[in-house]
Amino acid sequence: MIQVRDVSKVYGPTRALDRVSFDVGDRQILGFLGPNGAGKSTAMKIITSYIAPTEGTVTVDGIDVAKDPITVRRKIGYLPETNPLYGSMQVDEYLNFCGRARGLAGAHLDSRIRWVVEKCGLETVFKKEIGQLSKGFKQRVGLAQALIHDPEILILDEPTSGLDPLQIIQIRRLIQELAREKTVIFSTHILQEVSSTTDRVIIINNGRIIADGYLQELQAEAQGGAQLEVAFIAGRAEVENGLATLDGVKEVRVLSDGDGVVTARLVAEKGRDLRPEVGRFAAARGWPVVEMGVPEVSLEDAFIEFIRRSNAEETKEAQHV
Amino acid sequence: MSEVGVIFRREFGSYFNSPIAYIFVIVYLLLNAGFFMSGFFLSGEASLRPFFENLPLFNIFFLPAVTMGLWANDQQNGTFELLMTLPMKSWKVVLGKYLAALAFYIIALACTFMLPVMVMSLGNPDIGAMVSGYIGAVLLGALYLALGLFISGLFKEQIAAFIVTSLVCLFFLLIGNDFVVAGIDGWISGFGSFLRDNVGFTTHWNSLQRGVIDLGAILYFITVPVLFLVLNTLSLERRRY
Repeated sequence: MIQVRDVSKVYGPTRALDRVSFDVGDRQILGFLGPNGAGKSTAMKIITSYIAPTEGTVTVDGIDVAKDPITVRRKIGYLPETNPLYGSMQVDEYLNFCGRARGLAGAHLDSRIRWVVEKCGLETVFKKEIGQLSKGFKQRVGLAQALIHDPEILILDEPTSGLDPLQIIQIRRLIQELAREKTVIFSTHILQEVSSTTDRVIIINNGRIIADGYLQELQAEAQGGAQLEVAFIAGRAEVENGLATLDGVKEVRVLSDGDGVVTARLVAEKGRDLRPEVGRFAAARGWPVVEMGVPEVSLEDAFIEFIRRSNAEETKEAQHV
Repeated sequence: MSEVGVIFRREFGSYFNSPIAYIFVIVYLLLNAGFFMSGFFLSGEASLRPFFENLPLFNIFFLPAVTMGLWANDQQNGTFELLMTLPMKSWKVVLGKYLAALAFYIIALACTFMLPVMVMSLGNPDIGAMVSGYIGAVLLGALYLALGLFISGLFKEQIAAFIVTSLVCLFFLLIGNDFVVAGIDGWISGFGSFLRDNVGFTTHWNSLQRGVIDLGAILYFITVPVLFLVLNTLSLERRRY
């Protein structure tokens, strides 16, 4: 559905996007994750044709965005980061304007307005001035304008930014519901947002894609190898030195040491199960094993790990230059 | 409704969403009528000439106020991104906004129709000169508004757009003034005359006020606004890059 190939965007000395490539399939929901200023919004603006890439191409349904932006815009519903509302207009007037500007008219426009009003829960504010609405309702009006022409693709830039928890849940549910019949790309810098809304994530940092995949894959990749957390009743030095000699162990980190219990994290090659070996090793030395388990990497940990790796690589590249 | 019509309707409606539009029309009418009336009975002439003579200067202060927010507002409240991602060519958005501003100006100008009615009831004015004077007034407004729309697209702050538009309109007015032309000619021989004859509107404006609707004037007052509308469209397109 959407193909982004080697897209870069340069603003003066700043490279906002750097050779970014990814695909989004039909009816897929994709979350863009990254720190503020990472390039998420720039990527979205390029897909919507609001800005042109310095290099690279974007195609939507095989149509080059640079060559035929009008056709592409008909397929896309877009909610920018700054909600594009006319505060002095009433909700009904605004939706009417957005519908007409996208070529709708007559009974079709009326039915589309009724549909978005119901989906976005705007019945109670339909005749109210947009400037008088709460932030949550304003966000829903913004979403309604993006949906008015029943687009195949929805691009939502930080759709829950600034909303209260209840409003966030409502918008998330709506996005999930819409994703059943539309391709949805949304951006956020809130990690929970991604895990509760989508499976596939692209992490962007400093204009580059540093991770692209399904949540579980990314969490596993962030671990960098098989990990094991073990708590023994033993001396700290013995544990540190002893475990390091085990075959396949790449790293031993003591996490805590108190009341005679030492908790350590062992890192081995990917796919390797250290539990039998560590069990035998502890039994041979007479260390009672208090606890043993494979630690789970949270999305937060994975995100931080990817950002750390990306920054380390960039520092290395900078040193080479 | 055409795409230009959709934009026109929204923009035109937005003028009347606040009391500013009404205040604008009232002040515009009062000032124009006030200055005209202050000399009308002294001159003893049944003519609208003083009204039209003042108009280029009055419009320098009024029309930039109409255009200053046309793009600046959209940039401030985020609707610029909405407009630029609508499935329509940028020039249609530009034209819709421009026609809305022009329609608003024509309404303000129409409120001054009480002046010719009064003049006709008191004497026998040259009707042809009054008609061509009003045609000129619309064309002059069309020029100022196109210029103001273009400049509004260059600034995020309304006040900056207002000041720059006023200054550029003043430039167009002054390069038709004989003293200024003589001054520039003295500095760079022939340059002042060149500006007056080819860039400024005064020559064309004066012929319209005499009741002469010549092709050169019409061409000038159509070409220059079109040029600024094209520049406005190009500057919007350039932002994508």
